[in-house]
Amino acid sequence: MRPNSQPEESHQRSQKVRLAARMNNQSQVLETFVKKIFTFLDEKDSQQLAPFLQCFDAANSKVIVNANPFAQAALFLETWQRGVVQTQHVLTGMDYHVIPGTGSTVCSVNGKVRFDESGKDKAGQDSVIPDPSAGNPVPISGSLNSSTPAAKHRPLWGPYFGTSLQLVLDDRVLNGDQNCVISSFNYTMVYKPDDSLMAL
Amino acid sequence: MQNIYQNPVAFAQQNALERRVKVGVRGWQNATKQDLISFVSRKTRIAIMDSTVEGNQVVGFVSSQSDAQSLTNWNGVRFAGNALKFEILGDGSTPSGSGTSKTIMLLKAFLYKRYRPETKMLDLGNLRNDPDLATNGLFSSQSTQSKIFPAMMKLASNESQLVVESINLSDNQLRDLNMISTLAQTYPDLKNLCLANNQIARFRVLEVWKNKFKSLRELLMMNNPITTDPLYRTEMLRLFPKLVILDNVLLRDENKLQQIYTVPMKLQQFFFETNELGQSSIDFVSNFLTLWDTDRTQLMALYTPQSQFSVAIDSSVPTSSVPNSDQNPTFGYYLPLSRNLTKVSSERTKQQRLAMGQESIDKIFKSLPKTKHSLQEQPTSYSVEAFSYPQVQGFIITLHGFFEETAAPEIDANKSTPNPAGGRNRRFNHGHNNAANKLGKKSFDRTWVLVPSQGSVIIASDLFTIRPFADGSWTPPLSSQQPTQPNAHPASPAAPQPQAQPHVQPLMQGIQGPTLATPSLVMPPEIQSKLNPLQMELLNKLHQQTKLNAEYTYMLAEQSGWNFDVAMKGFQESVNNIPREAFV
Repeated sequence: MRPNSQPEESHQRSQKVRLAARMNNQSQVLETFVKKIFTFLDEKDSQQLAPFLQCFDAANSKVIVNANPFAQAALFLETWQRGVVQTQHVLTGMDYHVIPGTGSTVCSVNGKVRFDESGKDKAGQDSVIPDPSAGNPVPISGSLNSSTPAAKHRPLWGPYFGTSLQLVLDDRVLNGDQNCVISSFNYTMVYKPDDSLMAL
Repeated sequence: MQNIYQNPVAFAQQNALERRVKVGVRGWQNATKQDLISFVSRKTRIAIMDSTVEGNQVVGFVSSQSDAQSLTNWNGVRFAGNALKFEILGDGSTPSGSGTSKTIMLLKAFLYKRYRPETKMLDLGNLRNDPDLATNGLFSSQSTQSKIFPAMMKLASNESQLVVESINLSDNQLRDLNMISTLAQTYPDLKNLCLANNQIARFRVLEVWKNKFKSLRELLMMNNPITTDPLYRTEMLRLFPKLVILDNVLLRDENKLQQIYTVPMKLQQFFFETNELGQSSIDFVSNFLTLWDTDRTQLMALYTPQSQFSVAIDSSVPTSSVPNSDQNPTFGYYLPLSRNLTKVSSERTKQQRLAMGQESIDKIFKSLPKTKHSLQEQPTSYSVEAFSYPQVQGFIITLHGFFEETAAPEIDANKSTPNPAGGRNRRFNHGHNNAANKLGKKSFDRTWVLVPSQGSVIIASDLFTIRPFADGSWTPPLSSQQPTQPNAHPASPAAPQPQAQPHVQPLMQGIQGPTLATPSLVMPPEIQSKLNPLQMELLNKLHQQTKLNAEYTYMLAEQSGWNFDVAMKGFQESVNNIPREAFV
């Protein structure tokens, strides 16, 4: 067996060298992709989300958020878009393994997220009932008036929550292809500040 | 009596003794009493005299009320890894003490007299004209008045029987909140507050309550000058983000308010794609961690030459308002191993820190501190998701939780790190001391990719993130956790646990509660036995999406030829014609 193992070892070594050369590039591509996912999650305008949906493997993607499964990625995106106020994600940690021979990569991501606690949803609507006594509400800077939802409102960021995200991705993502690459998306909020107005 | 001219020193001493105030300090356990006293005097320039240890607190005396007050301003100051908490326990044990305790008795009785348990309301309205308070002279002068309310609040917060959701403070001639500002500390979750018939005139005085009372739903301020201000409504909306009713007028749409401040994906502790996967994941995790804590070498059997392992350190410190978060974490042992790709830029390092095959994995395992996980003692501190991973014909398990570092690693990575660049790695040579390696608690997220193989499993990939300790977001708040703690192991008091497999048993008990709470479909056994796991999965999925009961979920699945999309479409089309009893 000895003579055999020699060439194999050197073969492995050269493979490792090639792997190393590619890896730096790969991990950067992956980091960019993860940041892109975070940007999509933070997106206020649902019109911009079509490319995000395309990142999911439409046929068999698994989406789990806070240990709740979603039958389809589209359903998750819709719930996120409609039911969650504007968010801001920050990437704090990331690592990944290419699983040889499977065409897939598993990636573990850590980050933090904060919510717009101004009391407005993504569309700028709040819960305030128009004042019946005031004929013409006086708009005040940064006001809570619901009369002007279209006016650009500045989010009032709350404290950061911790998040942990596991992705199973198609290897193609490492070459910059982002079409249908997400086959699993497991997103969990792992710690929460007790002074946030948000309930999990 | 003392004569100041005969013995001025003794008089001064006596006087000082009378003025001194008893204080208590909690959260000092990691050090000696003497260390604590010297720390406090160094830090705050206030001396605590005649200190003794009483239970879990150090009790002593400071020389005046103002010293005691300024000491409480230091609440939360960190000492030996803990936040200190200072409390004023009242005047000294000098003769005046008996008067104080009499007042305390009086106020306690008063509180219970004014408490309405059926409505969870504490009625502190019109205190001035209360006969009990008046006859005891507690409201006789301005100075006693200003003290009486904080004292009452302090007492109330120690009375656990007083569950207070509503407080009435009407008719108290209040001009500002100086007297009652402590209300926000005593009852941060207050739902209803009445301040009617007072003299509050300016918004500024309410500003101390901004960002407090986050659950305040209803506020009554009638007959206060402030209510005539044109900005009254707007300002109240701003100060109290969850205020729904102001002076009997609806301010906010409660449904919309709730929707805005709630994340629709309600946090669950567990997700298992199938019941079977749930069982095997728990077995795997508990067995793995038992060996991880005791003998990591034994785990090598689970790894192959192709298996990969790496550690990533996420050193970002959680906001201080995260319960029990470690604000000063140390990662000395881990940093030389960390493959956090957002932090490591060198290509060579990224490659080096990925362990492939048993030998390199074993080496990193030995370079990580020895640990203890507490799956069975504190099952509520862990959260698991497990689902299938078709590409490897296996599954993926993610565990979130914490561990305790019990000892330094076998191999110190700081010393064994090859240093090819000579003195370039100065961080590790210069100023590297053992203090940076103190052992403590860490939180983690760990993801295993598992491939079943010959009745066992192989770990294809093991991704381990370590971060500063913080309570998990799924952990129930401490107040509700404490009484349930003994119930965490419902079976254990009845019959002693068999010692054979202690690590699996209790964990299961901890898990059973939450899993049952999540909607999971139970089919009649004769039907269940005919179903394959895929069909079961489909039924569960349908059930969760439609909230139909077992019978109707099965009907729906069968009619749609066991196709999820067809079933959902059919459901949506006929949802209005489905009888009410079809839903759970």
